[in-house]
Amino acid sequence: MHSDDRRQRLEFLPRDSVMIHLRTGWFRAALFALLWWILTDGAADSWLVGVPVVLFATLASLALLPPFSWSLIGIARFVPFFFWRSLYGGADVARRALHPRLPISPDMYEHRWRLPPGLPRVFMANIVSLLPGTLSAELDEECLRIHVLYETSTFAEDLSVVEKQVAGVFGLALV
Amino acid sequence: MTEYLTMFLLLAGAVFFLAGTVGLLRFPDVYTRLHALTKADNVGLGLVVAGLALQAESWAVVGKLLLIWLLVLLASASVAHLVAAAARQRGIKLWKR
Repeated sequence: MHSDDRRQRLEFLPRDSVMIHLRTGWFRAALFALLWWILTDGAADSWLVGVPVVLFATLASLALLPPFSWSLIGIARFVPFFFWRSLYGGADVARRALHPRLPISPDMYEHRWRLPPGLPRVFMANIVSLLPGTLSAELDEECLRIHVLYETSTFAEDLSVVEKQVAGVFGLALV
Repeated sequence: MTEYLTMFLLLAGAVFFLAGTVGLLRFPDVYTRLHALTKADNVGLGLVVAGLALQAESWAVVGKLLLIWLLVLLASASVAHLVAAAARQRGIKLWKR
């Protein structure tokens, strides 16, 4: 799933765009159906309401969030990465909060975007706030301004690893 | 056995919530306090959800618990960013050692 040729295809071949909307629509309908099943505890008679709701939710989601590229392998890599790093992040901030001498030395740090604008950037900004020592404070066209809880020399490297992971989730190559 | 694991996970989750609250009280400014709330509470709720999922009677309940965790994750990360961005816009200086 390469976003670049998909974007080009979207522009140049409208018939392909219909195919992509159809495929994404089926996929999202399956997800909404799963959600309905979870919310209703799998009650069989609830589908009388559930089927129209799933249909409406799918159409609304296609209108509000057009199909975007993503990669299953990227997600499979991202989930364990995020799980362990955010667990470490929570343990780290808990330790600093309970430590008698409060070992923090906050600062601001600017990270220049390598991700394309839109969903990938918003996704990364949210992820950064859950990882150890970093909090997204501001984002604009050029960079993400991050509040760091303590200064270390590895934030630049850590952030480029996060950015690579996020790019993987959306099946993108970084510029 | 599962009972003990659940008990352990719930208690561990409570420790993280407590640490997040202690951070909220002890940290010096709005930015550092946001660190404590988002990260510690995320892990705390994750542990509580894991502990409760072990006691769930069906997969639908496990899914519901997981969904709650994901929604809180999304909400707390987004709100932390919005609060920090608002603080920056109003020119609130960050505390430095």
